Amino acid sequence: MNTVSDVKRDLWDDANRWPHRCAVALVCATFPLIWIGGLVTTYGAGMAVPDWPNTYGYNLWLYPAETWINGPWKLFVEHGHRLYATLVGLLTIAFLVSAWWCQARPLVLWLGAIALAGVLFQGALGGMRVIQDQVQLAKIHGCFGPAFFAFTVVLAVVTSRRWQQGRLSNQLGLGKIERLAIMTTLLAYCQLVLGSQLRHLPAGARPGDFRFALVFHLLTALALCVAIVFLGLRIVRTQRREPSLLRPALGLASLIMIQVTLGAATWVAKYGWPSWLTDFGFAAAYTVAADSRPQAWITTAHVAAGSLILATSLLIALRSARFARASLPVAAGAWIAEVAR
Amino acid sequence: MNRVAFFRFVLCCVSPLLFAGCGKYDPPQFSLNMVAIAKQQLPFDQQQEVSNILDGMFGTPDKPFVLGQGKSIADSETGLDPKKLAVAAGPVRSDEFGRETGLYRRHCGHCHGTTGDGLGPTAMLLNPYPRDYRPGKFKFKATERAAKPTRADLELIVRHGVQGTAMPAFGLLPDAQVDALVEYVKYLSIRGQVELRLIDAMAELGQDEKLQLTRANLVDEILKPIVESWNTANESIIKPEDKPDVELATSIDKGRELFYGTKGNCAKCHGPSALGDGQTSDYDDWTKPVTELASDLRGEEERLRTDTDLSNEDRVALKMHVALASQALKADSLPPRTAQPRNLRQGIYRGGRRPVDLYRRIYAGINGMPMPAVGPASPGAKGTMEPDEIWSLVDYVLSLPYESISQPPHHQPATLSKANF
Ligand code: HEC
Ligand code: HEC
Repeated sequence: MNTVSDVKRDLWDDANRWPHRCAVALVCATFPLIWIGGLVTTYGAGMAVPDWPNTYGYNLWLYPAETWINGPWKLFVEHGHRLYATLVGLLTIAFLVSAWWCQARPLVLWLGAIALAGVLFQGALGGMRVIQDQVQLAKIHGCFGPAFFAFTVVLAVVTSRRWQQGRLSNQLGLGKIERLAIMTTLLAYCQLVLGSQLRHLPAGARPGDFRFALVFHLLTALALCVAIVFLGLRIVRTQRREPSLLRPALGLASLIMIQVTLGAATWVAKYGWPSWLTDFGFAAAYTVAADSRPQAWITTAHVAAGSLILATSLLIALRSARFARASLPVAAGAWIAEVAR
Repeated sequence: MNRVAFFRFVLCCVSPLLFAGCGKYDPPQFSLNMVAIAKQQLPFDQQQEVSNILDGMFGTPDKPFVLGQGKSIADSETGLDPKKLAVAAGPVRSDEFGRETGLYRRHCGHCHGTTGDGLGPTAMLLNPYPRDYRPGKFKFKATERAAKPTRADLELIVRHGVQGTAMPAFGLLPDAQVDALVEYVKYLSIRGQVELRLIDAMAELGQDEKLQLTRANLVDEILKPIVESWNTANESIIKPEDKPDVELATSIDKGRELFYGTKGNCAKCHGPSALGDGQTSDYDDWTKPVTELASDLRGEEERLRTDTDLSNEDRVALKMHVALASQALKADSLPPRTAQPRNLRQGIYRGGRRPVDLYRRIYAGINGMPMPAVGPASPGAKGTMEPDEIWSLVDYVLSLPYESISQPPHHQPATLSKANF
C-alpha cells in the first residue's frame, strides 16, 4: 500500500526513477523478441539447434560468433532468438534489482519477481519444445511470449509517474472504459491463442481443425474490432482531455486497422487470393512464393502486431482502473469480490 | 452491461485458455484411403491388413522405404532414391551446415496431407483443393493423358507453383531440395496407388480367402507395374509435329471455328465467350469416388428405410456399411465441388504458356479433369483432331485475351444464337 510519503518519494526523487526506466527498457527489448520468436516459427527453424540449453554442444554464450553469423539462416534465427532472450532475462533481473535498490513498493517487487519467474518459465518452455520436439509445446511457448510482453507493460505502467498520481478528478465513464478495456484485452489474448492454432499445425491435424480455428479467429477479429471501436468512442467522448487514455486508444484503433490488413495479407501471401477473385487478372496471375521475404515478414508482422494490440489494451485497462480508484490493491480486491459473487 | 454478466463473460473467456494447447502430440501416421475402403465395404480386419501390408512395403512417414529398395538407387528395383526420401521425410530438422530434412512436413504436408491424400489441415479452405496424390493422376504434364508425369514435369510444378491457386512456387529452395520433394511425391503417389490396388484385391477375395502375402503377388503383381508406369513416363512425352506454315490470322480463324464447332466443342465448357462460364456440373477424378460413395450411401439409407423384407442379418450388414460410408465422407473427404472450366481470356495457363505447352494441354486434355483430349488416346491411334487443327486451336487460344468480347464468334452454337439476337 502506498502512503503519501511513498508517492512523494517516487514522484520527485530522480534516483527512484530507475525501476521505471528498467521497465521501459524491458518493454522495448521484449517486443523485438516477439518478432524473432515469430520468425523462428515462420521459417520452421524451431529445431535448427537440436540441443538446449547448449547450442551444438557449446555454452549458449560461447558458440562461435562466425559460425552463427555466417551459418545457415535457420541457425542464425534460432540461436539469435536464444541469445536475445537471455538479454531480456537479464533486463528482467535488472528491473528486480533496481526495484529492490530503490526500495520500491512491495507491489512492484512482487511484480518484478513474477516477471522473473515468467521469463525463466518461458525459457524453459522453449527448451522443452526443443528437447521433446513437440508442436504443442511450441504453441504454448508462442502464446506465453505475448503474455510476458504484456506483463512487462504492467511493470512499466505501475512504476510510472502517471500511475502514482492516482485517482482522476474527472471520473466520467471510467468504469465503462475499464470494463471495455479488460474485455478487449481478453479478446486480444484469445485471438492470439487462436492464431497460434493456425500457425502450429501438428502433422496429424485434419481439415476440420484448421477451419474451426480459422472461423473462430475471424469471429474474434470481428468482436475485437467492435470492442475497440466502442472503447475508442467511449474514451473520446468522456476522457478526451486525458492523453494517457486518448493516445493509446487512438493507437489501438490504428493498430487494429493495420492488423486486419496484415491478416488478410498473410492469407494471400500463404494461400493466394480466394477463388472468387480469380475473375480478376491480378488474382488469376498470382502465385504464392513459398519462403519468400514478403511472405515471411508479413506473417511475422501479423504475429507481432497481435502482441502490440494485447499490450495496448492492457495499458488502457490498467490506467483506467487506476484512475478510478485510490489504489490498485483496492481495485484488485473489488474485481475478485465481483468474480466470486 | 450488467456487472455480473460481464464477469461471467470474463470467466468464460479465460477458462478455455488455461487448457488451450494441452494434449499429447504423436508422431504422424499414414492414414487409410477410407473412401475407397467404404466403397468396397472392407470389414475392419481387412482394413487392418491393408494397413499392415502398406507399413511393411512402404514404412512410416518418419522412416519411408519401398520394398525392393536397396541401399542406393543402383540396387533399387523401384528407382526411388532412399537418400532423397530420407531428406524429404521425417520431422523438420536442420543442422549447422544447412542440411535440412523433413522438407515435406515443413513445406507441403499442411495442404497435401501426411499421406499425400490432399487432406491436410488447410485443404478444406482452398479452391481448387490440393492434389490428392494417391490415384497417381496429375494435371499439368508433358505426357500422354493416361501416362504419369515426368520428373521434369513435377519439378516444374514444384518450382513455379500453379498460378491462381494455393499451390506455391518453391523456386527459392535449393535444387537438391526440390529434387528430394519430387521423389517424395512420387513415393506417396506410388504408395497410394498400391493401396488402391490392395483394397480392390481384398474386395475380390472370396469367403475365407486370404490375400497371398508373397513377393510374387505384392511386388511383381502389384508394385512393379505401378513403378514401371512412373519410370517409363519419359517415353510418353508428347512431341508435336512441327507447326504448319500458315498465316497466323488464317490459323486463328480456323481455331475459332474449331473452338465453337462441334468437333472441338470447347465452348461447351469454356463458355460462349471463353470466359469459363460454360458447363460446370462435372466433377474431377479425385472427387468422383466421393460423390459415388455419397450416392451409394443415399441408396442404402433409402433401402434401410423402405425395404421391409430385409433379413435381420442384411439389415445389420447394411447399417454397418452406412456407418462406414458416412464416417468416411465426414472425416476422410472434402465437400465435393464441381470442376471449374478456365476463363481463357486472361491469358493465364497453369500448365505453361509456351505454344508447345498449350499444344500438349489440348492434345491430351487435362488428366483427371473433364477437359477431354482431342488428340489420339494412344500414339498411333486416330484422334478427334489432326495436329494442324490442334495448332490452330493453340493460335486461337493464345489470341483470345486480345480478341474483343463483343466480336461475335464465327460459329454461334444454335442455342446461343437465339438468346443473342
Ligand atoms: C498452400 C497449399 C499448398 C502447399 C503448401 C503445397 N501445395 Fe501442392 N498443390 C496445392 C493445390 C491447391 C494444388 C492443385 C492445383 C490445381 O489443381 O490446379 C496443388 C498441386 C500440386 C501438384 C500437382 C500438380 C499437377 O500437375 O497436378 C503437385 C505435384 C504438388 N502440388 C506438389 C507440392 C509439393 C511437393 C509441395 C511442397 C513442397 C506442395 N505441393 C505444397 C496446394 C499446395
Ligand atoms: C468438358 C469440359 C471441357 C471441354 C469440352 C474443354 N475444356 Fe478446357 N478446361 C476445362 C476445365 C475444367 C479446365 C480447368 C482445368 C484445371 O484448371 O484444372 C480447362 C482448362 C483449359 C485450358 C487451360 C490450361 C492451362 O494450362 O491452364 C485451356 C487452354 C483449355 N482448357 C482449352 C480448351 C480447348 C482448346 C478446348 C476445346 C478443344 C477445351 N479446352 C475443351 C474443361 C473443358
